[in-house]
Amino acid sequence: MSLWKEFAKGLWDENPVWVLLLGMCPLLAVTNTAVNGLAMGLATAFVLLGGGIVNSLLKNVIPHKVRIPCYIVVIATFVTIADYVMAAYFPEVHKLLGLFIPLIVVNCLILGRSESFATQNPVHYAISDALGMGVGFTWALTFLGIIREIFGFGSIFGVQVLGDWFTPWIIAVLPAGAFLTMGIVLAIFNVLKSGSTSEAECH
Amino acid sequence: MAKEDSKVAMVAVLTIIMILSATVLTFVFGFTKPKIDAYAAQQKKKAILNVLPGATKYKTIQKGNLELYKGYDKNGDLVGTAIETKGPGFQGMIKLMLGMNLKNDKVLAIKILSHLETPGLGARITEPWFENQFKNKQFNDKFKAKSDVKAIAGATISTQAVSDIIENTIQKVQKVTDGGE
Amino acid sequence: MELLLVFLGASITNNFILARFLGICPFLGVSKEVPTAFSMGLATTFVMTTSAMVVWFVQTFILEKFGLPYLQYVAFILVISAFVQLTEMAVRKISEPLYKALGIFLPLITTNCAILGLALLIPLKGYSFIESTIFGFGAGVGFTLAMVLMAGMRERLAFADVPEPLQGAPMTLIIAGMMAMAFMGFSGMIAM
Repeated sequence: MSLWKEFAKGLWDENPVWVLLLGMCPLLAVTNTAVNGLAMGLATAFVLLGGGIVNSLLKNVIPHKVRIPCYIVVIATFVTIADYVMAAYFPEVHKLLGLFIPLIVVNCLILGRSESFATQNPVHYAISDALGMGVGFTWALTFLGIIREIFGFGSIFGVQVLGDWFTPWIIAVLPAGAFLTMGIVLAIFNVLKSGSTSEAECH
Repeated sequence: MAKEDSKVAMVAVLTIIMILSATVLTFVFGFTKPKIDAYAAQQKKKAILNVLPGATKYKTIQKGNLELYKGYDKNGDLVGTAIETKGPGFQGMIKLMLGMNLKNDKVLAIKILSHLETPGLGARITEPWFENQFKNKQFNDKFKAKSDVKAIAGATISTQAVSDIIENTIQKVQKVTDGGE
Repeated sequence: MELLLVFLGASITNNFILARFLGICPFLGVSKEVPTAFSMGLATTFVMTTSAMVVWFVQTFILEKFGLPYLQYVAFILVISAFVQLTEMAVRKISEPLYKALGIFLPLITTNCAILGLALLIPLKGYSFIESTIFGFGAGVGFTLAMVLMAGMRERLAFADVPEPLQGAPMTLIIAGMMAMAFMGFSGMIAM
């Protein structure tokens, strides 16, 4: 077990989005543009890291029976910090992500990592795992955001890349488009991984 | 930790964690609140001055149950009156700032503040050509989409919703000010 | 009339799953068969309705009264998880068959973001107590509707010849996309 291995697994082999299918709600809801996807990914990564460190440090203090409420309180605290800091320093992005920042609390990815990794391992492995998962989640969200933004608005990160000839496919930035894009991207990844199919499970 | 956790320990740990959490959050809140408030105030000022061309400062006054913002230019002359208003759109509330000249009963400008309209269709209400078409509209105009208001293709309902909000707000303002200042 | 609009808005036009993206996890995970999907829907509806009421009290009489907006997330999630726990215990005491039908789903509901999403929407919308309750109930009914429809389609799909790369999650997501398109037909019918 090396720190690098714990970090790298989150990027692809155990990517929280493409392989573990965790955190689908924010994934689908806020990825209508690349910037939104990136911001949401970073906010989630911050909570993942903070929650992972604290929960890992507290693992010997917290009685087993009340561990879930304790983890949730710690996570909710970090989410509130992220929420207020974003509102203060990045108000534009904060407005766009809206309700989905508080919902990071119930992102199964975060509680899942705290429960299954951070509290089973020493804190430096927890940090490495949280960073890997955070980066993996962020790139997945940004990637999906880029695809939907190109089709929906003809731009990437707000910069127009397709000319006037392009009629935006509005469907791509609507809710329906989120499901369709995600389904198609997953299918393509399945082909790339030569047919190994994954099953949607959250818990 | 022992396998059988005592009830006291469970309650104690949970309580301590919650107290810590509340302490940290109180601190974060105290630290970020001024910034958040400052941003909100600055956004409001920008929106108000935006719909009152030429105005450099504004004063808040209370007329009836409405909060009105009177804008003045650098010579201290009254430019117009602004009001923040909202109404139902196609999918959710549309909030907008409306600037009016109550002397000659004309709309000065409007600015959409927030909305939940369909991206690419109704969401185009925030485009300058759409907002600018309300400039200099008479209070007694019809405010009808496709007649005196240019409609967004595929989003007549959103267009009409904005027009209705403006028309209703003008009536409310006129009621409290009785046409005068 | 107002209340009917709140109900229809929460259940159909702004369906929690298909328009707000809340509760996607159970929607994808527990929608293979109609009976399970229906039980999950029922359990969720129950928790949504009751936690809508509790959350309204917490928001009005604690958070607003004492000026503690920054404790909102922590308070809501604790209230919800405590409440789900209580519900589980109550159901077990009251009816054994009901517990068997719903019991296993209840712990899952705590991390269902539809519940916390609902809780956070209530103060935003400024609903009264009655409206909050109806809103919670409507959201639950809409959730159940989407779950059952999805399960019905997936039951049929089990016999279909789906290309291999699309099997499992991709196909489920694509069907969900089509359902979302169908539900778009309702949008705008009720101004929120």
